Amino acid sequence: MESVLVGLLIFGPILMGVLAWLAPGNRSRVLVVVLGAAGLSAVGVFTAWRGPFDFIPSTWLPWGPWAMFALEALEDVIITYIGYRLASQAIVVCGVVQFGLTLTEEYFRFQNPYLTQAPHFMVDPLSLILVLIITVIGSLIAVYALGYMERHAHHAPSSAGSNGRFFFFLMGFLGVMNWVVLTDNIQVFIICWEATTLCSFALIAHDGTGEALASAKRALLFTAFGGTANMAASAIGMAQFGTGDLTGLMAAGAMVPITLLCVGALTKSATLPFQSWLLGAMVAPTPVSALLHSATMVKAGTYLILRLAPSFTGTRLSDVLALCGAFTFALAAGLAIGQSNAKRVLAYSTISNLGLIVGCAGINTPLALAAALMILCFHAASKGLLFLCVGTIEQEIGSRDIEDMGGIRFRLPATTIITLVGMASMLIPPFGMLLSKWMAIEASIHSPLILMLVVAGSALTMVFWVKWMGRIQTVSYHPEERLEKLPPSMLTALVVLVLIVLACGLAAMPIHRTWFEPMVIQIYHGKLEAIRAAQSLVQLKAVSHLAIWPVLVLLGGAFLAWLGHRTFFKGRHERLPFLCGENVVAPDRFYSFYSLKDQPDSAWAASMYLTSVFSETKLTPWANLLALMILMSLFVMGGVTP
Amino acid sequence: MTTETIIRVLAALLAPPLIGALCFGLDRKITARFQGRIGPPVWQPFYDVAKLWRKEPMVLNRVKTLYVYLHLAFMMMVMVLLVLGEDMLMVLFAHAFSSIALILGAMSVRSPYSRLGAMRKIMQMLAYEPVLVLMVVGIALDNASFSASDIWVRPQPLLYSLPLVFLAFFVAALIKLDKSPFDVATSHHAHQELVKGVTLEFSGPYLALIEITHFYETFLVLAVMAFFWITEPAVGVGLAAAGFLGLIVVDNISARLTTRSMVKIMWTVPLMLTIINILWLYR
Repeated sequence: MESVLVGLLIFGPILMGVLAWLAPGNRSRVLVVVLGAAGLSAVGVFTAWRGPFDFIPSTWLPWGPWAMFALEALEDVIITYIGYRLASQAIVVCGVVQFGLTLTEEYFRFQNPYLTQAPHFMVDPLSLILVLIITVIGSLIAVYALGYMERHAHHAPSSAGSNGRFFFFLMGFLGVMNWVVLTDNIQVFIICWEATTLCSFALIAHDGTGEALASAKRALLFTAFGGTANMAASAIGMAQFGTGDLTGLMAAGAMVPITLLCVGALTKSATLPFQSWLLGAMVAPTPVSALLHSATMVKAGTYLILRLAPSFTGTRLSDVLALCGAFTFALAAGLAIGQSNAKRVLAYSTISNLGLIVGCAGINTPLALAAALMILCFHAASKGLLFLCVGTIEQEIGSRDIEDMGGIRFRLPATTIITLVGMASMLIPPFGMLLSKWMAIEASIHSPLILMLVVAGSALTMVFWVKWMGRIQTVSYHPEERLEKLPPSMLTALVVLVLIVLACGLAAMPIHRTWFEPMVIQIYHGKLEAIRAAQSLVQLKAVSHLAIWPVLVLLGGAFLAWLGHRTFFKGRHERLPFLCGENVVAPDRFYSFYSLKDQPDSAWAASMYLTSVFSETKLTPWANLLALMILMSLFVMGGVTP
Repeated sequence: MTTETIIRVLAALLAPPLIGALCFGLDRKITARFQGRIGPPVWQPFYDVAKLWRKEPMVLNRVKTLYVYLHLAFMMMVMVLLVLGEDMLMVLFAHAFSSIALILGAMSVRSPYSRLGAMRKIMQMLAYEPVLVLMVVGIALDNASFSASDIWVRPQPLLYSLPLVFLAFFVAALIKLDKSPFDVATSHHAHQELVKGVTLEFSGPYLALIEITHFYETFLVLAVMAFFWITEPAVGVGLAAAGFLGLIVVDNISARLTTRSMVKIMWTVPLMLTIINILWLYR
């Protein structure tokens, strides 16, 4: 049973990807992707419902270790080749170093018979959460991509790859991501990690334009650098600690490999100073952004840190991660304020939230880890939804500038309402993101510096979300509204995802109590010194007993009052806005007024972007420098040991 | 849920707007005396709300009215969560979302003045939110608990351990109650050049609901001041009265600042005061 589940989760999507590539026409591809997505989500949900298990493949062929070596070496060669083709010396260097590290790994591996045993799958609650996110949200994004890519193909540049190839990498991505989170063996982990790097490279470069290639190149460089750190960790782990498993490293308290793995994870999850690849990745078609930001890629990095966190409580690594994460949280939120490009705002918001996850893992108490898990889950659902919404809006209005999004409430009512729900779920109670931010602040009170950064970050986050929400719901009075027509695949994905966001958001507290609270208590069992553990557990219990009913009752009451009142409005209650002049009354001139010489003039107020403080050119270099210094502090003054 | 809880919740929903309205009436009376006028009767806020309530509703679109209800609902949530002794940080968030609802309502219409007021309201929130969050954290550090119910059972007044935070809260309260020099988003005085700012496009019963929310808010600010010496309620009320008088005096003697200088001032002096005070609690 277990072998079937693991096989379906890993090879199912890859097989679907191959079929989607080979599919002769659009309709057969639709069939393959829809069936594949439905099947994959079903398997994911079933696996999560079934619960944790350990699994060691019973048949492990004599040439198994060699096959793994061949795969890893092949990936190194591909990376080197891409670097050579794109004339990037840095990538070539990464590829060659990786190849060298692969050989070193193999050298140590074949010396120790224990290390050539069959790779072990360890499926614990953390893996299951990730599997659930990858299969359900990833599948929905794939379904959405069907409609999106068909429209995209009409105006894509001639250099763009075929849609079949696109779906191969999209579905394959889900398969290797599943493998990343299911395995305990570091070598398998690294092979899949590099495979996600290559998938994201192919997807970002999909359009084949100069900008797309440059962004893909940068993404490859940053994440391959992280991959190199991981390989070094693996080689050291085998050489010095004689273990090839993550659990083995954690049990041995092998601080040097664990630190290197964390550095690798930081590049993948795009915390400062590694954020630029994720921002560049915005040139890719929107489903790719959605996938990178919610279900895959960046989640791999945070997954690794969350998995390793209990093994480094109270060390300097923990403190540095906390500071690095909190710093990223505050700075990325500030940088988001200065952006008017919708996808960049979303990207900065992702970076900011990833920073908070890393920061919580660094605080490293049960409460903090529960907060990190909450953010991981609710962020995946909400951010996936928001990217899909922005993709839809962009295709409909032909712009991704927030200032152009005034009035879409009338043109695209369904999309706008779904977008607003998505934004509200990032910010407003009783949704999970707000609860997790609240838990993060309560978890951070034991360290003043982290606390200040988290508090500043929360205030800045509020600014850019509110500004954007206000813009997209700006609307004049219209007696009746007509729903827009979207391709069925896009509409289905949006509606299902918004229902998931609503359901999870409203059930955030029960979800925390039922799954996350027991999980973190078990993870930290016996890992913290008595006083700190007791404090954090008291806090955790207090948090879990929050009464949500006043929130639900009052907000529900407000909605009911509004619905009751809404029916009562008629055209005679409608007025034109005050414009400091006589309004021009005409159907399409709702906010014009008679200005000088009785000429109609339109009134318009743009949002504030505070670019004198929060511009990328001014802030990014300093932020990167500071973040780099925080990271480097890991390696000076006695290294990583406590 | 016991009968006692129900009574407490009802009291928390009904008493604050009445007390807040009275305080607001007093505010107008005292301000008028400062300016050499007789001023309206103390009951004027009640008359205003009653009159607004009877007006015919006028709207610019249908969405906007939802936010008025949410504005009030979140503020009522603050009161309910407080009397239930819930987590103070959550109370603070509910309070922030009350303002956010108003901002979203003001931004949902195609009116540049209303939008400008809303943007300024966002800046106000950016200015005071960190101070308020750190104030709550300070109280929690001193109490070793985030729940509002634990604040009643303190051995000594909060002011002893959080004197600088009280000063910072006083400045934040100027912004909260739209008092000069920080009344950038809207103001109860007639010298507003931005027409009526964030509340410009609200009228009739909707404006009445916004006024009622403002009464709640006035009560809340005074209640927080009183909490700083709640061990002896009489002293606490005195402290709140003194603070309220202080707010009115500052309102009348200062000219308005720009939005940007407001944020700069708040993120330097009051925020630093709060941080220093909190660092001292970490000893």
